Amino acid sequence: MSNSPMTNKRPVYLNLLKIRLPLTGVVSFAHRITGVILFLALPFAVYLLDLSIESQESFQSAQQILNQPVMLLLQVLLLWSITHHFFAGIRFLLIDAEIGVEKSQARLGAWLVLIAEILTLFAIVYGVGL
Amino acid sequence: MSLYVLEGLRPWVIQRVSAVYIVLFIVYAVLCFFTAETIAYTSWKSWLYDPFNTTVVGIFVIALLFHVWIGMRDVILDYVHNIMLRIFILAMLVGILIGCGLWVFRILLLSVVG
Repeated sequence: MSNSPMTNKRPVYLNLLKIRLPLTGVVSFAHRITGVILFLALPFAVYLLDLSIESQESFQSAQQILNQPVMLLLQVLLLWSITHHFFAGIRFLLIDAEIGVEKSQARLGAWLVLIAEILTLFAIVYGVGL
Repeated sequence: MSLYVLEGLRPWVIQRVSAVYIVLFIVYAVLCFFTAETIAYTSWKSWLYDPFNTTVVGIFVIALLFHVWIGMRDVILDYVHNIMLRIFILAMLVGILIGCGLWVFRILLLSVVG
């Protein structure tokens, strides 16, 4: 009884603020968080798709919704979520194909994901003139 | 490889295959967006209701829903340990995803009707 994981008094140290996650771990965890964020945005995205295609007037009201300052902030969050999930996802696919598994390569891959998503975000924000 | 192993592998395979399709679709959609001459209602509507694009978007939505289902299922299984709560949240998830899917297909098929 005293040896079961539920009852023994072995100290478990899980202070999330004190755990220093390596970059590969940050990229991995952010992949999960951005996935959940994108799921939460899904119903709203479908609603906007409906508005945008129904008529000329509803297309304009969709534009007006998206041009509100709060919505612009949300769009930046969602753009980051998509770009991070996209590039980190490609990295995981490559790792599944046994490309970039070795420690130094995995670390390089995580850096490439970070650089790619920052460049893409700047390109989109600059290109669309957000 | 026994059938049991294949059973456990299936969600993993669906997650990866759908991921590849989603990546290809996003690349295509971004290319279309940045080569479009204008972003206006008429051009957007004719793009979406072009038979090729309607098909590609339809497949994308199916791939996306499977992808979201497996991803969110894994997250819920990791953090929600109470069995009844787990079943309840998974059922809500399925409802939301099917609802979103039907809504998009209604939008896509309206072009055929009207």
